[in-house]
Amino acid sequence: MNAAQLLNGVALGSLLMVLSSGLAMIYGLRGVANFAHGALYMAGAYIAYSVSDRAGFWLALLVVPLALAVLGVVLELAFFRPLQHRSHIELGLITFGLALMAERLVVLIWGESTLRVNPPEFLQGTTSFVGIEYPSYRLAIIVIAVLLAAALIVWLRSTSIGLHIRAASQDIETAAIMGINVDRVSLVVVAVGAALAGLAGALAAPYIALDPGMGNAFLITVLIVVVVGGIGSIAGAMIAGMGLGIIQTVTTVWSPSLAVVVPYAALTIVLLWRPTGLAGKRVS
Amino acid sequence: MKRRLLAAASAVTLATTMAACGAASDSSGGDSEDGPIKIALIPPTSGALAQFGTDAVKGWETAVRLINAEGGIDGRKIELIKKSSDADPATTLRVAKEAVTQDGAQFIGAVMTSPEHGALNAQLEGLGAMSFNAMGKDDALVGEQCSPYAVHVVQTTSMDVNALAASLTELPGEKWAIQAVDYATGHSAAETFKAAAEKAGKQVVLEQFAPLNTTDFGSYITKLKGSGADAVFAVEFGADGVAFVQQAEQFNLDAQLKTVLGLNMVSEPLFETLGDSIEGYYNNVGYDAAGDNELNKEFVEAYTEDHGSAPYYVPADNYTAAQILFAAIEKAGSSDPAEVSEAIKDLTVDTVVGEVTVRGADGQVLRDSYLGEVVKGEDGLAFDILTNTDAGVTTPEPDSACKF
Repeated sequence: MNAAQLLNGVALGSLLMVLSSGLAMIYGLRGVANFAHGALYMAGAYIAYSVSDRAGFWLALLVVPLALAVLGVVLELAFFRPLQHRSHIELGLITFGLALMAERLVVLIWGESTLRVNPPEFLQGTTSFVGIEYPSYRLAIIVIAVLLAAALIVWLRSTSIGLHIRAASQDIETAAIMGINVDRVSLVVVAVGAALAGLAGALAAPYIALDPGMGNAFLITVLIVVVVGGIGSIAGAMIAGMGLGIIQTVTTVWSPSLAVVVPYAALTIVLLWRPTGLAGKRVS
Repeated sequence: MKRRLLAAASAVTLATTMAACGAASDSSGGDSEDGPIKIALIPPTSGALAQFGTDAVKGWETAVRLINAEGGIDGRKIELIKKSSDADPATTLRVAKEAVTQDGAQFIGAVMTSPEHGALNAQLEGLGAMSFNAMGKDDALVGEQCSPYAVHVVQTTSMDVNALAASLTELPGEKWAIQAVDYATGHSAAETFKAAAEKAGKQVVLEQFAPLNTTDFGSYITKLKGSGADAVFAVEFGADGVAFVQQAEQFNLDAQLKTVLGLNMVSEPLFETLGDSIEGYYNNVGYDAAGDNELNKEFVEAYTEDHGSAPYYVPADNYTAAQILFAAIEKAGSSDPAEVSEAIKDLTVDTVVGEVTVRGADGQVLRDSYLGEVVKGEDGLAFDILTNTDAGVTTPEPDSACKF
């Protein structure tokens, strides 16, 4: 086991961290397993492909979360809010259907062939880091993800909207009785959650190859991360995401075919040992 | 009651369909002897393979244009019936039945994937139509799934691997690492390659298999870097191949490698996506566009004139399929698939890929395989053909599972 392999784990963990924090936010507040989260991530990657092709990767990193936030607003206003009193399984199925439609839409717009996005010029190639030559772009992902995680935690802990989000995630009805505008809180949460999925997609675009199945490939892992982290807990999801990324990579080094079952094994173990997930009932 | 009615209705439908089948194959021996010779093309027209499907049709179009311009075969014109599929075996089979029974097609071409061919081969004799496979590479198609009515124009995966193994001595690099996809093709390719490497006096320092649909090759590449390998044999297809090439570039893996040898990993349609980083990569090549024979020159010129771009292996292999079919019809003196399938056994034809023979025992076309290096030309990336391996070296003995 060497430092480069550990960094591989941290890089994958960083990506899972960004992706799962968005899902955890929506899950915590709306109680809906958003099966369209993988599709949002895929949409982020494809939009990043088109934007970076025309205007550069950095602009894509800015435009994609904004575009996805708008998509999140539509999702909230068209589905989550009108259907909030329906059973969670119904809403879950609707998001599943949306994901299937999104996949076809991506094929229609961008085609089904595999695409790639190049990282910005100065992040191509490798950088010397703690004595090893490591891809600069992966180091950048790690830095961006850690900064983002810190910003998200600060936002949730020290702003009033953060307080409202945490309150509504604990108990949405009591929060409403206490005078919190839960519709507004929910709108912000779904928009931010979708933006985070898009950002993860944009970050992943130069890392992996783009194909219309990329969302589904990650969705299961991310759902597991959220459950392992503690349903609705953002910090829990972040820790679980990073942990799973590292464990999975380490297992891949040792036995690739075993690494495939790591997320499922982790899920089983955590649910048996701590059914509420790593973070229990804490939100952030 | 309802269920019984349904059963009766299905039985009637089935009987009518079967009668129609019989009628169609009867008629193909009768009145079709003076009308046009009909070939149904069933390429995928949607999805990931759509581009290949379109290009396969273009190959057939050029072949048909040229032969009709010469007056057809024995005075009979060739007619293409263009159908479409989604590369799903069930769809392709349904469309094939429709083309044969309703449109009167006697021959089928441009079918893409191995599973489609597997399903189709099982039905060909019953349908009374011949299929020309210029794209599905699975070995089983000339093994347990073979059919006397199917001609395997393209090289099988075994032939591809054997060709690379035979050229191994030509490639720089002493310490080889194998990076392969974790399913049957990857494992069998790795086995063949390892045996060839030993014979060539090369060392295999690392052998690793990544599950299909691996998105992050980071840990595999780190291991490759740590293994001290100076050459890599890579068997990664589609999105996996793109991800592997792209991440290897980010890890600067190429710096320590003298050779990256791919099996069906890089090909012309992927050149644009993969970009200049694959310059200097080696890969098996089925068709040499710069091939130095008159027929090929004529084909390249005619194809470019018809479609505005130079051909690559997909149109070329389909064009070759057409050439073999036309020669067989001429030899049989008939377009009856039963007679043509007899005439095609051990038939030797001069084609764009040189002189080829259709092996009688399994329908495999015996043809050369090439090793190519990706080079940057005037119009972007292209394959430079380095070695040419004879079919006698690459082709395994006919599979005993194939019985006509």
